Amino acid sequence: MIATLMFYLLGAVALGATVMAIIQRNPVYSVIYLVKSIFSLALIFYLLGAPMIAALQIIVYAGAIMVLFLFVIMMLEVTPTNAATRTAPGWFHWGPVLLLALTLVALTLMLIGLDPVSSEGVPRWHASPRDFGYTLFKEYALAVKIISFQLSFAAVGAFHVGMTERRRARQEDAS
Amino acid sequence: MNLESLHSLLPQILLALGSTAILLGGAWVRNRRLWLIVGALVAVVAALVAAFVDPARIDILGMYSATAYARFCTVLWCLTVAATLLISCRYVDLFRFGGGEYASLMLFAAAGMSLLSSATSFVGLFLGLEVLTLALYVLIAFRQGDSRGAEAGMKYLVFGAVATAFLAFGIALIYAATGTFNLEAAAAGLQTEEGLRPLGLAGWALLLVAIGFKISLVPFHLWTPDVYQGAPAPVSGLLATAAKGAVLAAFLPLLVMTGEGVADIRNVLWLLAIATMLVGTFAALPQTNIKRMLAYSSVVHMGYLLIALIVAGDEGSRALLFYMVVYTLATFGAFGIVTTFADENGEIQEYDDLRGLATLHPRRSAMLSVFLLSLTGIPPLAGFFAKFGLFQAAFRGGYAELAVVGVIASIISVYYYLRPIIALYSPEPAVVCREVAAQSETLVLVGCAAIILFLGVYPAPLLTLVGLVIP
Repeated sequence: MIATLMFYLLGAVALGATVMAIIQRNPVYSVIYLVKSIFSLALIFYLLGAPMIAALQIIVYAGAIMVLFLFVIMMLEVTPTNAATRTAPGWFHWGPVLLLALTLVALTLMLIGLDPVSSEGVPRWHASPRDFGYTLFKEYALAVKIISFQLSFAAVGAFHVGMTERRRARQEDAS
Repeated sequence: MNLESLHSLLPQILLALGSTAILLGGAWVRNRRLWLIVGALVAVVAALVAAFVDPARIDILGMYSATAYARFCTVLWCLTVAATLLISCRYVDLFRFGGGEYASLMLFAAAGMSLLSSATSFVGLFLGLEVLTLALYVLIAFRQGDSRGAEAGMKYLVFGAVATAFLAFGIALIYAATGTFNLEAAAAGLQTEEGLRPLGLAGWALLLVAIGFKISLVPFHLWTPDVYQGAPAPVSGLLATAAKGAVLAAFLPLLVMTGEGVADIRNVLWLLAIATMLVGTFAALPQTNIKRMLAYSSVVHMGYLLIALIVAGDEGSRALLFYMVVYTLATFGAFGIVTTFADENGEIQEYDDLRGLATLHPRRSAMLSVFLLSLTGIPPLAGFFAKFGLFQAAFRGGYAELAVVGVIASIISVYYYLRPIIALYSPEPAVVCREVAAQSETLVLVGCAAIILFLGVYPAPLLTLVGLVIP
């Protein structure tokens, strides 16, 4: 019962955060909302008895990918920096963030108290890091290899498309 | 993963390792033509291995298969890529394409196509498709400092990314409904009435959107003319032939099965086929740019091929394979001729640029006419037999209305295929003489034209081969 209620609450938070991420004009705000959306998804995974996926969701998405987003936004300077937006953000900027953050913290605490993984016994689909690694690198080893090839060619492609005219000319001279 | 499955994957492994080797070699020896020829050799060797080395086992880790059908597709895509590399010889020098990157990306695309058409699970399908599209994103925008190419690459990237999202979502829903990644089991699981059927059907709908994007079915075809126009001509040729064929080939084994679940999809496909044939035909009529016209022509031909997917069964499958080979030869050849006419100022694309070229370049003009007339389906050429087989299969399979629409579309298509030919043979001769085609270009294109002429007179060898692949 309480788990169902939490599921809907988390779902509402995820949806709300995603909608906010879409309607923000400032990309940095969007990233903050996206982090919240991803965090609530991680809690949903935990609630469903998949702590492994929940941890990965936070480490990979909320951690690595979002930091990457912020880096790109800062490097490209897509954030508007005119005088009007440089003033301190108003309550309508930080209000929803705070509300969502508080909800998420409260839900996390409740979830820790509830402990769905151990209280209902280990579910059928529960995967330990060991099972996960075994499946990934044994059963789907071929898939992992194809993806690694793909990543290396993605790097080649990015290098080729991003090469400047000057650099190309220098390379031509060298050959 | 054991030796046996590696042995069955030998062609794909050759392609992937070959592309990596070319990439590494290209860092030391920056000779463009050398790497093109090495790449073409690797592709031909992979095709030979796929054709003549019996795989140790058919099922490869539950993701791919090495059936006769999958091997036939691998051979077809490898040869297409080898031919594309060979006709690019002059082109890469003209536009100063980097050392080994071009050949290596082409080979990687070939690996993706061959994985895609041999996929037996959604994981394999997704990976193959992504390998292919990733290579294509880069190849389309390969010409440096070319704003049209960059625009085309960007368009393909954005559309492709959205299509991939649809595909991933579709696969997730189908998995939720049926609990399996296996293509056949997923299609069979859809037929059970367990309340999850709507979820599975929604998944299939998303999947069809993604596939529609990739093979540019109406109404998902909007990117096609822009991308074909902006991409380098050899890459457009690959995009129109093998890249689309591989996606279609992946779905043929799936739709050959009959059942209630697949029947629902068939209704949607029926609508898509009619829309694709009609909209593509009418959009091709006013074109004055040969690459855009060929783009719309490829849309229409995907509509024809969809007929064969709907008819399914052995006869439909055989008609589809035969048609795919003939269509690949003709479309590839047409883009090949556009490639040979390229010079420092770019490619010739407008019909006005083609005007009167026949007096100066009679052989290439004749070959372009052969390719376009084969696409129209004029009797002594292979295109006629292909269309005949397709429409006959549709009539026998009880889809007469599709065949009728197809025939009407083919009749209208005479107009837009003849327009460039009329421009070529117009009485006032062209003022500018184009460059002489490279030997490799001539060789490949004469080969394509000869096969089209030969199959038009005597289609039995290909029919026998297709009969062997789909007994």
